[in-house]
Amino acid sequence: MSTVDAEILSTGAGDLRPVERKAGRRVSRYGGRWVPYVFLLPYLALFATFVLAPIVIGLWVSLHVWDFTIPRKPWNGLGNYKDLFDSQSVVGPDFIRSMKATGIFTLFSVPLLVVVPLAVALLMNAKFKGRNLFRAVYFAPYVLGVAVIAVLWRYILDNNIGLLNRYLGAIGLPDDIAWTTSTPAAWFALIGVTVWWTLGFNAVIYLAGLQDIPAELYEAAKIDGAGRWQQFRNVTLPGLRPVLMFVVIITIIASANMFGQSYLITQGQPGNETRTAIYYIAETGLKNFDMGRAAAMSFILTLCLLVLSGLVMLAFRERKGASR
Amino acid sequence: MTPTPLSRRNFLGLSAAVGLAGFAAACGGTSGPPGTQQQEGGGGTFTGTYDGPNVALAFWNGFTGGDGPYMKKLVDQFNKEHPNIKVTMTTIRWQDYYQKVPAAVQSGKGPDVGAAHQDNLATLAARRSIQPLDDLASELKLEENDFIPAVWQGGVYQGKRYGIPLDVHSLAQYWNSDQLSKGGLQKPPASKEEFDQAVSKIKSDAGVAQPFWMPSLWPAHLIFYSLIWQNGGAPYSEDGKTATFNSPEGVAALTWMVDQIKAGTSPRNVAIDTQYNAFKTGRNAGTFDGIWQINDLKTTAPKLKWQMAAVPQIFDKKAVWSNGHNFVLMNQPKPDDNKLQASKVFINYISEKSAEWANAGMIPARNSARQDPSFAKQPQAVVAADVDSFHFLPAVPGIGDVGFQGIEQAVAKATLLQQDPKTALDNSAGVANKLLEDNRKKFGG
Amino acid sequence: MTAVAEGTAPLTTNPDGRQTNRRPGGAKRALQYTVLTILTILFVSPLIWMAVTSFKTQADAIDPTPQWIPAHPTVSAYDTMFGSADTPVLRWFLNSVLAAAGQAVLVVATAALAAYALARMDFAGKRLIFSTIVATLFVPAVILIIPNYIIVSKFAWLDSLTAVIVPGAASAFGVFFLRQFFLSLPSELEEAAYVDGAGPFRIFWSVVLPLSKPALATLALLAFLTNWNDFLWPLYVLFSAEQQTLPAGLATLQNANAVRYDLLMAGAMIAAVPVLLLYLAAQRFVIEGVSRSGLKG
Repeated sequence: MSTVDAEILSTGAGDLRPVERKAGRRVSRYGGRWVPYVFLLPYLALFATFVLAPIVIGLWVSLHVWDFTIPRKPWNGLGNYKDLFDSQSVVGPDFIRSMKATGIFTLFSVPLLVVVPLAVALLMNAKFKGRNLFRAVYFAPYVLGVAVIAVLWRYILDNNIGLLNRYLGAIGLPDDIAWTTSTPAAWFALIGVTVWWTLGFNAVIYLAGLQDIPAELYEAAKIDGAGRWQQFRNVTLPGLRPVLMFVVIITIIASANMFGQSYLITQGQPGNETRTAIYYIAETGLKNFDMGRAAAMSFILTLCLLVLSGLVMLAFRERKGASR
Repeated sequence: MTPTPLSRRNFLGLSAAVGLAGFAAACGGTSGPPGTQQQEGGGGTFTGTYDGPNVALAFWNGFTGGDGPYMKKLVDQFNKEHPNIKVTMTTIRWQDYYQKVPAAVQSGKGPDVGAAHQDNLATLAARRSIQPLDDLASELKLEENDFIPAVWQGGVYQGKRYGIPLDVHSLAQYWNSDQLSKGGLQKPPASKEEFDQAVSKIKSDAGVAQPFWMPSLWPAHLIFYSLIWQNGGAPYSEDGKTATFNSPEGVAALTWMVDQIKAGTSPRNVAIDTQYNAFKTGRNAGTFDGIWQINDLKTTAPKLKWQMAAVPQIFDKKAVWSNGHNFVLMNQPKPDDNKLQASKVFINYISEKSAEWANAGMIPARNSARQDPSFAKQPQAVVAADVDSFHFLPAVPGIGDVGFQGIEQAVAKATLLQQDPKTALDNSAGVANKLLEDNRKKFGG
Repeated sequence: MTAVAEGTAPLTTNPDGRQTNRRPGGAKRALQYTVLTILTILFVSPLIWMAVTSFKTQADAIDPTPQWIPAHPTVSAYDTMFGSADTPVLRWFLNSVLAAAGQAVLVVATAALAAYALARMDFAGKRLIFSTIVATLFVPAVILIIPNYIIVSKFAWLDSLTAVIVPGAASAFGVFFLRQFFLSLPSELEEAAYVDGAGPFRIFWSVVLPLSKPALATLALLAFLTNWNDFLWPLYVLFSAEQQTLPAGLATLQNANAVRYDLLMAGAMIAAVPVLLLYLAAQRFVIEGVSRSGLKG
């Protein structure tokens, strides 16, 4: 039997695999050669249809003047892409403005969404009475979903009768800030609501990471005379690195994809200033059926996100090498 | 190596795979989107009744306001009187409606009959969402001289008729009767002088600091349209090819609107719907809104005493923004003759009930219905007295979106005091003209 | 050991074996509790405001003076919500549950099968397939919106829950995550089953899956939450009121009733309360599941 013959090789990552015969024929305890493909088939069917094919179709669509409702879809080469950066075209200025909106939101929300939950997680790290209750409360908004959150906060942020302005006025601050119809107030509003909504989610992930750092490391640092801040820098941060990178990347991706808050709270107002790139793509392609241009926009946005993710991973990797 | 035979097929993965494969195969051959050839309205002679097998019709419209229940009543009546036709009415907010209809029709899930605004007929036709119905118009014995010319022409696109006119509606003004009388006035203002007078009297004598709130979003651009027409200008050229709203007449119109805010007659940053809400709760004295709000006022502000009149003539001419609802027949991937016949019977039925539909606050499209004495009792009759002042947007495909991205942005920016009227209008005219040209290329002339 | 000083504390071993620094009592503890309590107020009070407003009249809801206790308590907002055919909130809730659960099942099923093959089997094209899947981990979903809409339209799935369940069910993260997990399982049990004559499917079903319950549950939970929170896609692929999920339905509600805050809060409450109840019951499971997602294998 093959398993009796097979030696189990263990790679460094704990990977267990039957050894390959020298003749190059793969030995498997898993029956016929078609078995792996049967296991893969359901996933690959979905994957090919809804991930791979769309990427190709999207590219194809972006090279045409493609309106969903009109039969004629003439070839346009890179015309759609050129239009996006042409300030004289119909979509150029709006596209740049929407990329700017995405940029502003990502730039200002990511640091807050990375740092504030960490602070909260640090505060909650030790076991104390009521910790689980606090943790549950902070996480609760995330389960409610963006629609409930946004509808609620639009009410609280209402210019005239919203709670926020009422209480700001009560403590002597201006009470007529147009949180949803003027900038930069709208940015504060959108970022604030997003932090409120997802703080618990990030904090919970941080907490798990913090719990994973062995206490001996802190002990050792203290014996060496390290103060709290040094302990944080030399024990906590390095220990959190993988979790930190994970949180930073998912937060960047989530922020760059922000749609619900903008759609429901500000409706892209004032004018189109808070209309994010993905909001504009959805409006262009799915509301106005101008899919050629929308597809081109999504490729540009994707490119930017890939570059950004790459930079983040590079930044984290470099530091790891440098600190040795 | 002993290959183990495949056994135990009842587990998730394999069945999912089989299910998916089967599903994909079944769906691969679905009928493609309709409209590769434009369907001709047809299907035999129209007898006014439907004798075929039972059919179910889907009827979509955007009557989310006070007018919805009235249409629902008519639909229910129709269903009762026609046991072999069952019409289901679905209401979608108009803004979403014009996005959902083409998408639904394109994927074969569109309704059978719909209501659509006159100024959107060209767009729906160009997107092949609706089919021509010239023959239905003649079968219903619709005659040109029974309609306002603009309404009659408005349903025609590229030489074919796509809509059966149902009603006309326009902007109007509403005033709080108590506050009017406190200001010593009997009725709403009819001219610029009377408007200024009303506003100042109500400020001083009725104690309303901000009598008239100027919206920055809906329906601000409708106010703008009315004013630019009053001033002798027009939002677009007659052929609908150029944006002309940044003319001096347009700038003057928008400036008047902004002046109300600057003079303190209106607060700043009026958020959507708040001016109408403030009217209902008595916090302001007057507001411009469509005649369709009549029923909403009756239901949600029953204690409020109000008067409605045609919009005041601020400039030289009498003009007001107007639109109209039409019935349309959707394109279908697989034309069903029975459903087509039933749809025509339905359209005929409703269009004969214009008196009941007038209860929803609408003005009947047909002159004969408007001149009927029963209509005179309706509150909106006072507005209908002057149909010559009704102005409509040109029937150009895509005009709705051009307005949304062009004029509406300019009006919002100016009334939010973010840009002066001339700059705002000039910028938007640039955007609008580009869009108009883009649309011409896309929809073909 | 150093003396107990500011910031240092004796090590204590907690019942779960973890060692933590328990903070000394007194000022530090009080400060900690204060901050956490303020945060709690910030988190809970908007939800209370939502609840309270849902029981106000239309006029009270737009009263400039905040009413934490409604001046004229009423259930009229709820009556309208439940009575209107255009806002079937409970139906929206049900659709959301069906869609999220459906997608979670599909995600876990397909990912588990694929991950097992990638973890334990050798076959031609394995490296290619795996690298392709991993590569798409970094591809943002935005690129799929337009083409998937076209595909879904051609399949005639528009305006049906299928459109919200199937397209997003191919989860590269799921495959990656479960493969890591399967790799970490010692293979002796699978070996033993093979020696006993079990085929690969049997091994997978009876040996591996039961061992993988925590990972499967975590993935199912994450998939459920992701679909539950999905807003853009359902907003555009679901048209009619009966087919919409909660986020899309609430958006429709707000679009149609911009300043009817009593109605909006009632709608939000109907959407929120069942979720909150479920959450309260399963809160430990949910939070622990999410925590695990950040840690590798």
